[in-house]
Amino acid sequence: MTDQVSYEVTLEDLAALMKRTAGVSVDPDQFARQADAGFDTFGLDSLGLLGIVAELEKRYGLSMPPDAERCKSPAEFLALINSALTTGV
Amino acid sequence: MSGREPRRAVVTGIGAVTPHGIGTEVFWKTTVGGGSSLAALDRGGCEGYPLRVAGQVRGFDPAALVEETFLVQTDRFTHFAMAAARLALEDALLADADFDSPYSVGVVTAAGSGGGEFGQRELQNLWGQGSKYVGPYQSIAWFYAASTGQISIRHGFKGPCGVVASDEAGGLDALAQAARTVRHGTDTVVVGAAEAPLAPYSIVCQLGYPELSRATRPDHAYRPFTSEACGFAPAEGGAVLVLEEERAARARGAEVRATVAGHGATFTGASRWAESRDGLAHAIDIALGEAGCRPEDVDVVYADALGVPEADRAEAGALADALGPHARRVPVTAPKTGTGRAYCAAPVLDVTAAVLGLQHGLIPPTPHVTDPCHDLDLVTGPARAVEARTALVLSRGLMGCNAALVLRKGGARGPHR
Amino acid sequence: MSRRVAVTGIGVVAPGGTGVTRFWDLLSQGRTATRRISLFDPAGLRSQIAAECDFDPAAHGLDPTTVERCDRYVQFALVAAREAVQHAGLDMTRENPWRTGVSLGTAVGGTTRLEQDYVLVSERGARWDVDARKAGPALERAFSPSTLASAVAEEFGAHGPVQTVSTGCTSGLDAVGYAHQAVADGRVDVCIAGASDSPISPITMACFDAIKATSPNNDDPAHASRPFDAHRNGFVMGEGAAVLVLEELEHARARGAQVLCEIAGYATFGNAHHMTGLTKDGLEMARAIETALDEARLDPTVIDYVNAHGSGTKQNDRHETAAVKRALGEHAYKTPMSSIKSMVGHSLGAIGSIELVACVLALTHQVVPPTANYETPDPECDLDYVPREARERRLRGVLSVGSGFGGFQSAVVLTGPERKA
Repeated sequence: MTDQVSYEVTLEDLAALMKRTAGVSVDPDQFARQADAGFDTFGLDSLGLLGIVAELEKRYGLSMPPDAERCKSPAEFLALINSALTTGV
Repeated sequence: MSGREPRRAVVTGIGAVTPHGIGTEVFWKTTVGGGSSLAALDRGGCEGYPLRVAGQVRGFDPAALVEETFLVQTDRFTHFAMAAARLALEDALLADADFDSPYSVGVVTAAGSGGGEFGQRELQNLWGQGSKYVGPYQSIAWFYAASTGQISIRHGFKGPCGVVASDEAGGLDALAQAARTVRHGTDTVVVGAAEAPLAPYSIVCQLGYPELSRATRPDHAYRPFTSEACGFAPAEGGAVLVLEEERAARARGAEVRATVAGHGATFTGASRWAESRDGLAHAIDIALGEAGCRPEDVDVVYADALGVPEADRAEAGALADALGPHARRVPVTAPKTGTGRAYCAAPVLDVTAAVLGLQHGLIPPTPHVTDPCHDLDLVTGPARAVEARTALVLSRGLMGCNAALVLRKGGARGPHR
Repeated sequence: MSRRVAVTGIGVVAPGGTGVTRFWDLLSQGRTATRRISLFDPAGLRSQIAAECDFDPAAHGLDPTTVERCDRYVQFALVAAREAVQHAGLDMTRENPWRTGVSLGTAVGGTTRLEQDYVLVSERGARWDVDARKAGPALERAFSPSTLASAVAEEFGAHGPVQTVSTGCTSGLDAVGYAHQAVADGRVDVCIAGASDSPISPITMACFDAIKATSPNNDDPAHASRPFDAHRNGFVMGEGAAVLVLEELEHARARGAQVLCEIAGYATFGNAHHMTGLTKDGLEMARAIETALDEARLDPTVIDYVNAHGSGTKQNDRHETAAVKRALGEHAYKTPMSSIKSMVGHSLGAIGSIELVACVLALTHQVVPPTANYETPDPECDLDYVPREARERRLRGVLSVGSGFGGFQSAVVLTGPERKA
């Protein structure tokens, strides 16, 4: 794994993915403010999260940790996958 | 019977998304005016096949009627069904209704082609790129049950849910099943069919139907009951109806448009059109019997009108067998020559036209047909003003099913509120 | 009018052996038929295992024309239907064909054949505007789900109502449920009812991979399907068909047919919750069970065996346990409940009918089939799941339940042949 530094998924990236893969639109301010709230608050269901995980795996050519799809909130999700991306798990 | 009035299933709402446009009003206006929406097939990737003419739904903005979270996880056939269901519920003034119990509302749809476009995209992802490129929604978008499930979820309906995955006649079977569900105790059933068979691979599959019209001119492609009959033009779109128990509908002040009074279904073999004469006649007998109607009570017939000479002959023969001398007098129409046949949705569109026709005292005509060659009073040219009370809708499927449905204007206590 | 509905014949094509005898041998011995997929190369998939049928159409009397015209799932149905009709001793020349119907379920229909031809016409996914000239014969029959019921109706000359039912994974219960209603209402006297699916194909395996619904236990296929076990991790795909001959009770008696059991009640509801997700409380499935028992006019305590949906996903088994406890109350704890998916996998739309045939056999033999591979209890699943070994037991009423994508929850109640009116 090289050039791991550039692998950082932001809240904005996640919001864009939610929109594109699951059709879920979020208000950016609310999303940033409530990053600890459950995904269901924003209307994202388990299939939607699975789709996002698959999308990230394809984008970075890496397997995400199995817990990724069980994350409850955007903040928890980003912490987990960014840690996986920087360690190259 | 304990003297209690039997439960009846009546139509209180209609939503249609058809080649004539979005909404029931444009469907009815175009239908009654004898308009046609058959045109050169020009959807992306669909142009190069020996299927040239179809009824496409144009100007459909699914996002205007269905939330984006549902759109991304469903195929076009479910977009049509969800849009039509919403329009039907709005029409019945039930869109924001507070139902006594979620279990009092069921959903039944018929589906004959499934989520072909969505499925083809995911097949392309799989075979072009690999299994990891298949998305999470393929498992719920391609299968025939998608529309019933999504309508139930979107509106919170927990009543009996059903899916008839059948040939064309399945559209009438779904309506009959919904009516029985109402009679057996569920107050409301949202029922209908929508199809989206105009994607490249779906078209390739349909090319195997010998009944499919290969004509290149929209005005020549689908002319049943004529000596120029050359098969049928397929279509996309569909309609959804709200069926309610009559007393419950009246109690909330709903407009009772028509009663689903009788249904018959038979089977006589795939593409055995001569034998469908017997099958259709039997289905009509059963439907009239269930409705308590005599043949001469039938005021209008919405024909299956396949457009295959042998099949058209069989249908005319079935009417003669089942209705006797009345068959030569009763007006017969086939407005689907203006939309094309949307598989399971085709007879549901006919039911839609029949209910509206009963309401307005009009029989819409059969576009593109001028000189029928059968001994039928086929309504061609302008719509005909007839104060009809009873309509008979017929349907046959390419896999051999025959069905007849009897609709009566208004409810048991007459046509008016 | 509500007439009593008898089962007079059964037929099955299932993993582990075609025909009722071999099917019951497998179940009563608690053997599993799950293995690494051989129908195609599953390398690269997350779940590479399935319960496959070793099915030779010619050996079962299907001629080459039928084989060419009919997708694998239709072939299964034809073979199962022949066995059932023969078992029922039904002589179609003596039946009124207009009073004989067909009601068959399938979840995914002809997708296996559709995928095979897709690969050709699209040049392995290279083009969107696929090449029609490369399509095989009779592809339209794979496209139309109606083919299933139509092919079986043609085989037996049925002219009554013929329909294909497709409510996802409850199709097999619902198709028999609809047939039950048609006989009970008096629309038909005889109905050939059942379901079939052959979903073991790359696209179907891949789509369940994508939602991680199937088990990734690729190293130990024989023990991969573990319903109700604490270590369960998804369902194992299956395939097959089952057919039951349903008949109005007096009609069966009049022709001297053997009555195997009665279908006494059926109900289905939607959960209006999620296309794939299930609620924790199982409210809607409980309601389906209660409604089916009401229709059967049976007290819950007459249910001596529950044939579970038991797919082996974390969510399903918990949901179902809650639903059965809610509907049967304390009696649930005294009632054995097993999942034959531990042995024959989950054949999507077909499995509901395969399970109903298992229920008929359980009633006939007065034996409860086990849940194979059940070893470690899960605190959230605290009923008697009949671990690994079949059990003799007096069975009066049997309940079979199912859940399907779309949120569908269905229940069928069967009673032994000696039941009084």
